[in-house]
Amino acid sequence: NTDLPGGWCKRPPLCCRCRPTHGDLSGLGESVSVVLMGIALQVCHAACNGELYSRPFIESFEETPMLLAVLTYMSYGILTIFGYLRDFMREWKIEKCHTAREREEQKDFVPLYQDFENFYTRNIYMRIRDSWNRPICSVPGATFDLVECSSNDYNWTFEYTGRVVKDVINLGSYNYLGFAENTGACATAAGEVTVKFGVGVASTRQEMGNLDRHEELEKLAASFLGVESAMVFGMGFATNSMNIPALVGKGCLILSDELNHASLVLGARLSSSTIRVFKHNNMQSLEKLLRDAIVHGQPRTHRPWKKILILMEGIYSMEGSIIRLPEVIALKKKYKAYLYLDEAHSIGALGLNGRGVVEYFGLDPKDVDVMMGTFTKSFSAAGGYVGGRKDLIDYLRTHSHSAIYATTMSLPVVEQILTSMKCIMGKDGTTIGLSRIQRLAENTVYFRRRLQEMGFIIYGNNDSPVVPMMLYMPAKLGAFGREMLKRNIGVVGVGFPATPIIESRARFCISAAHTKEMLDRALDVISEVGDLLHLKYSRHKVLPSLDRPFDETTYEENEE
Amino acid sequence: MALGDAWKQLSWFYYQYVLVTALYMLEPWERTIFNSLLITVAAMAVYTCYVFMPQHIMAILHYFEVVQ
Repeated sequence: NTDLPGGWCKRPPLCCRCRPTHGDLSGLGESVSVVLMGIALQVCHAACNGELYSRPFIESFEETPMLLAVLTYMSYGILTIFGYLRDFMREWKIEKCHTAREREEQKDFVPLYQDFENFYTRNIYMRIRDSWNRPICSVPGATFDLVECSSNDYNWTFEYTGRVVKDVINLGSYNYLGFAENTGACATAAGEVTVKFGVGVASTRQEMGNLDRHEELEKLAASFLGVESAMVFGMGFATNSMNIPALVGKGCLILSDELNHASLVLGARLSSSTIRVFKHNNMQSLEKLLRDAIVHGQPRTHRPWKKILILMEGIYSMEGSIIRLPEVIALKKKYKAYLYLDEAHSIGALGLNGRGVVEYFGLDPKDVDVMMGTFTKSFSAAGGYVGGRKDLIDYLRTHSHSAIYATTMSLPVVEQILTSMKCIMGKDGTTIGLSRIQRLAENTVYFRRRLQEMGFIIYGNNDSPVVPMMLYMPAKLGAFGREMLKRNIGVVGVGFPATPIIESRARFCISAAHTKEMLDRALDVISEVGDLLHLKYSRHKVLPSLDRPFDETTYEENEE
Repeated sequence: MALGDAWKQLSWFYYQYVLVTALYMLEPWERTIFNSLLITVAAMAVYTCYVFMPQHIMAILHYFEVVQ
């Protein structure tokens, strides 16, 4: 049936107007059914995205229930009132002040600690602070050991109780392929190199920090990504913030997604280009900005922009959404802009061979102008890379701030990346890498499906190993972390400055090191805590991701 | 047995109330202040109902000409 005219409609059934016809043509005669199928396909081909996507792109962000939003605002209101009360008591010395304050001589200066962020930290974050900054005393693999802490003065100070909580299931580390281990080929290789070369490099890349292992790593990274050339840096955050200023400057335009990571935002601001923000993963917003930029040019002189750079990430870690790469590349080619893709979370985690989001969509790596990524997540090392054409990387070698001023990657880390990358590519002769990638994909699909069946609100794409689960209320954020730790599971809760104030969430990171028993245990515990805290908010009004923005005609599609 | 179940159910409801109003994050004396304020306001509402409800019901019935 796949060689009918117009191609086979590959949109998921919920979005496709031709869903009712797929099943009930079995009883009709063959010629009639072919004709009807042809008509139906012509109908649904117009509503589909054409041939851009080869598999259904199922991404959902369920809307916040109105009652929950009202209750969350009410709880923040109560916390704010009590925050004002405590600030009053601290000001009038009724209560001892544990936070930073200005000195007596500086009381007439511009106040330092009166903005909302400091108020929030003093009065809301401090009360549930024991769910963060917990000290770990083992390798953060699939399980870890936690040093137990307790607080006598409501989280202002902590003491060690002396006990260690053993074998806490780790749902928070970015350990996607399970390479965070202290045994195995990677650890042995890193140990040998430490004995031979030491740990520190003690120089920058352009002075004496360029070792042959770095060049080997760069060649391997370039062949892993499918690009001509690559360059590695010692710190992932610094890769973004130090290289974007080297690529764009005054007179250039940066189009940045609204939910970009702080390193991309910092790099864009440091470059002193004009920055315009488009709505998250919204191709209509991006196209409108591109058209406006090309038609109107620079703000006052109307000269054409020197360069237009689109900054996007492969997987957004707070939402779990995957970039719509085929559409971005089509737009980029149409309007002659450049694309900077930050694959921090998606390299190694997506794609059949772990080559990232470009392989996941089956596209050509040469279409992405600057492919950046980090080794922190799937390779369990530290540092970042930038890959692209040879002349681009040669330019970066001389002009990047990180190459001139920052120390290079230390050799044990280089060795860890080399070994893990060879393992993923299969160059060490085993199939460990491929089996880990497959296990990660299975774990992701299983975990997401079970959580959605239980009735939690889960954001993001069905294939992303980052699973944000919505909690909304600040008290539930603190309670969730504590209750999960009581039952020996470590999770990461995310609250205000990283997310919008009412949308606090717990973010699970699935790993290939998790066995099915661990995931089942974790899911049972999450269900139990979800019942205890009443977290199963989903009303299964999952809106399928549309290929055009919400306008009058989308009501007809949703009526099915 | 039934009393134990009822007590468990009540304490789960109290836990939900404490989570939704963010009292979970407050110190015990702050919880006491908030609960006392809430109970005072609720008690005043109940007392007002008790004192004025007969007059209000008579006025409604008089308006709808059910009673003279």
